[in-house]
Amino acid sequence: MSETAPAAYGLDVGSTAVKLVGLDTDGNAVRQSLEPTEPALQKQLGRILESIQERRDGGPLPLVVTGYGRGLVPGPARRVTEITCHARGIFQLFEREGTLLDVGGQDSKAVSVGPGGNVLDFLMNDKCAAGTGRFLEYTASRLNLRVDEIGPAALQSSGETPISSTCTVFAESEIVSLIAQGTDLGAILKGLHRSLVQRLSGMIRAVGFRPPLMLSGGVARNDAVVNMLSDAFDCKALVPESPEFTGALGAALTALEGRP
Amino acid sequence: MVGTAKVRDNSRAAPIPGRQQTMERFREQGGRIAAVLPIHYPRALLRAHRILPVEIWGPAQAFTPLADSRLQSYICPLARNALDFLLREGARRVDMVLVPHTCDSLQGLGSLLLDQAHLDRPTLNFYLPRGAGDASVDYLAAEIRSLSAALSRISGRSPREEELIECVMLEEEADSLLSELLGARPRLPLPDHTFYRVVRSREYLPAEDFISSANGVLAGRTSLGAPERLPILLSGIVPEPMEIFDALAGFGAFAAACDLACASRRLYPGGKSGDPFRRMAESLLGAPPDFTRGSAIRDRVRYLRANADKSGARGVLFYPVKFCEPELFDLPLLRKGLDGAGLASTVIEAPLHPHLSQVLVPRDPGPPPRPGGVTPAGALPER
Amino acid sequence: MGPPLKCAAATKRLVTRHYLDGRYVRHYGKTAWVTSGAPVELLKALGFFVLYPENHGALCGARRAAEALCRESEAAGYSSDICSYARTDLGSLLSGRTPVGRLPRPDVLVCCTNICQTVLAWYRVLSDHFNAPLLVVDTPFLYAEAPPHAKAYVLAQIEAMVEPLERIAGRSLNQDRLKRTVKYSRDAAELWNRITEMGRRKPAPLTAFDQFIHMAPIVEMRGDSRTVDFYAAMLRELEERARLGIGAVQRERARLVWDNLPVWHQLRFLSEFFAEKGAAVVAATYTKAWGELAPLLQESQPFEAMADTYLHVLLNRGTGSKLDTIRALVKEFDADGVVFHSDRSCKPYSIGQMGQRDSVVRQDGIPALLLEADHNDPRSWSRSQNINRLEAFMEVVAR
Repeated sequence: MSETAPAAYGLDVGSTAVKLVGLDTDGNAVRQSLEPTEPALQKQLGRILESIQERRDGGPLPLVVTGYGRGLVPGPARRVTEITCHARGIFQLFEREGTLLDVGGQDSKAVSVGPGGNVLDFLMNDKCAAGTGRFLEYTASRLNLRVDEIGPAALQSSGETPISSTCTVFAESEIVSLIAQGTDLGAILKGLHRSLVQRLSGMIRAVGFRPPLMLSGGVARNDAVVNMLSDAFDCKALVPESPEFTGALGAALTALEGRP
Repeated sequence: MVGTAKVRDNSRAAPIPGRQQTMERFREQGGRIAAVLPIHYPRALLRAHRILPVEIWGPAQAFTPLADSRLQSYICPLARNALDFLLREGARRVDMVLVPHTCDSLQGLGSLLLDQAHLDRPTLNFYLPRGAGDASVDYLAAEIRSLSAALSRISGRSPREEELIECVMLEEEADSLLSELLGARPRLPLPDHTFYRVVRSREYLPAEDFISSANGVLAGRTSLGAPERLPILLSGIVPEPMEIFDALAGFGAFAAACDLACASRRLYPGGKSGDPFRRMAESLLGAPPDFTRGSAIRDRVRYLRANADKSGARGVLFYPVKFCEPELFDLPLLRKGLDGAGLASTVIEAPLHPHLSQVLVPRDPGPPPRPGGVTPAGALPER
Repeated sequence: MGPPLKCAAATKRLVTRHYLDGRYVRHYGKTAWVTSGAPVELLKALGFFVLYPENHGALCGARRAAEALCRESEAAGYSSDICSYARTDLGSLLSGRTPVGRLPRPDVLVCCTNICQTVLAWYRVLSDHFNAPLLVVDTPFLYAEAPPHAKAYVLAQIEAMVEPLERIAGRSLNQDRLKRTVKYSRDAAELWNRITEMGRRKPAPLTAFDQFIHMAPIVEMRGDSRTVDFYAAMLRELEERARLGIGAVQRERARLVWDNLPVWHQLRFLSEFFAEKGAAVVAATYTKAWGELAPLLQESQPFEAMADTYLHVLLNRGTGSKLDTIRALVKEFDADGVVFHSDRSCKPYSIGQMGQRDSVVRQDGIPALLLEADHNDPRSWSRSQNINRLEAFMEVVAR
């Protein structure tokens, strides 16, 4: 990252992490930071905003905030939904139209990305948590695993145990029961990932899949999810180097370009 | 088409061919195949057109990505599974699809198949009247006639009246044997799993084949002794996955009687009229009480109680399909009515998944039978 | 938002008076509980006081009483997966609580299956609860054109209702009164149709949210002369607003179509949300359904007219017919987007929406949102998730 001072910022206030991206006038990311979302979110956001340097003439830099907590950001910042921001961010990264899947903590979105990174159409999971990243987080913690451990564990397993419950709570109870019966943990985890991917696939189909499939959000780091999705759509899913910053990047671009 | 395991048949009856084999054999004889959704429709009419109805009760599926992009998550899993199956491969394996108007969900599915799914097979719908009296019989006879005209466009046949009557009589014989089979359940020393494989073969076997296999099973009747397992009555739409019976056995119980839409709610009495269309209508409308014809709840209570009395069932397990609104509406008053007669009951929702949820699988050998008859189904977790 | 409609007070008066009448009806007449799509003209002509449990449910929903009542019925064993109108209404019966004071007991229940099979399941429970006779008008679902035997069947059932209804009412049917009632129904439906068509004007003088509030009389007071007068006055007010260029939404920038029932417990939130974005929801399939069949209601042959009308209601027609309706609304009202309320509690209305949405977006290039909610149960409303969807949708519409 260069020493150039940012000309615009994007702040993505998510349910699990707060992400900040600063862009220079050419649209290069010159600042990037991520911290876990704190319970005292407003205080945390105040601190982050203070850290954003002011323009030399003293006026505020262009800033767009996105993510679930965008309403909590104090001041007159522009607020844009993460659907729009993720689409613009991913378009900047891959310069491709196609289908974007963002698996967030609270929500999953399938977005049909058109020319210039504009949203042509989008669909989100129903209100049940079983189609979101929370589903994996929840079960990982129940198994005393870190969320970054479960993907590799699932990939290593040759077996796969179907998880029949589509509800997070029942799935947990089912997993407890399977472990008690001595079922292989990797096979359970593979079944769990399959369950999530199947739900996501339905959503991608419903938005009208157009290749390539591009992923953003933290769950894109989970190789088991990426592989299973690639198989399901018969194309290699594209994953950015830092998928969790896609929304903040799109927000910063929106700020820089002054786009609606 | 139903994704159950291979027949674990230890009865004396001949093994029952599966759906695929049955379809192939029927085709070899020059017949056509119709995929038919639940619950009521005139089998005899299809047979008169040389079309074999092969019913789709689900089939239980783990994942339904094709249907998930067309149906919201809160829609009946039976409709969802069926849609996914038809879109994936099911429609290609048959010559036509028939969707009886059973409920709001199948109404929607039938409509969606016509307007949105664009299967490359003709889809027909069939409305079952909910009204009472002669108007219903008149309507249904006319609806069956109109279905026959639509079938003619597929089959290229216009069955003569004698052919129709012949088919009607054959189906009536099969229906009467199904009735006998279900009535004899407590005296048949078979595991539920095996017994219901036979009962449910009515969903796809030609009537003549069903008659011979049912007769084979009935030949094994024993005299009624004290049941070794706790008799219960199973009520619901369809016992899927069939492992539900193994789970029941794990709790020391068996389905001595049933009020399942796929089985005993289709014990059609023979019709009276000489006109085959009217006769089919009379027969369909004479089935035991169920929500699809708007039967009064008190009639359903009376029927369940009589059924429990006859079979010696000590309790009722309701196994409704998840989101099945018409079934769910009746449950509180049905349970109250049964409670009034000293019959315990419980409810477990069926997710129509190929694997029985681990939540339902007994974790220990199960309690011994309690001939005293206290809440047999109470051993199961209540939701 | 623009200035409120002046007719609001009159609507409130009419509805209050209707429920007030219900409190005392047992002293002078008989009561029928009916579904919203029932051939009510026959009952009105026989002097029945008619009560609509669905409307009562909606009223409880709009007044935020539904959740507690739903809990009552769930405690009695009714699954949270069944229609929330039914859960609200059954909860009200079981607890005796209602925001309208008291509901008259039904002497007869009349259930017409043209809106859903749910009502049949529900009215069977009511029949058991009140030990009251249940008369069913079964309307075969129209996957395509209505076959002649379906029309004959519906007609036969309505005709067969006369005798039991006369017996319960204790009087005979007067044909002139029936014809007059049918005419009032048609006149009100015609006026309602013209009212909903006012949404074509730019800016729209009323929104679908106004229609949701003011549709109570066309649903529960069809066949009354005062309903005709009320809608005539409402239409005059709207024409005046249109002449003066007064919009229901200030600085109207976008126009939307709504599909499915209202989300009663979020009416205010949703109308304010859209108004703030300069978006007017100018039409709704749900409110259109109460006016579009007016031409079928010809009093010269009242029974045939009722049979034909009630067989052809929107919800008794297939998913393709509903898509045609949505497309026509988008075109005629020059709309920029469609909001599909995916209603957990109304499965027959909601099945097919995903395919309809798909056609609107991909074939017609019109943005469309699937908004998951429930018409009466606020527990199915995820506020922050739905705001996110609504805002993202408005970003797409505004571009």
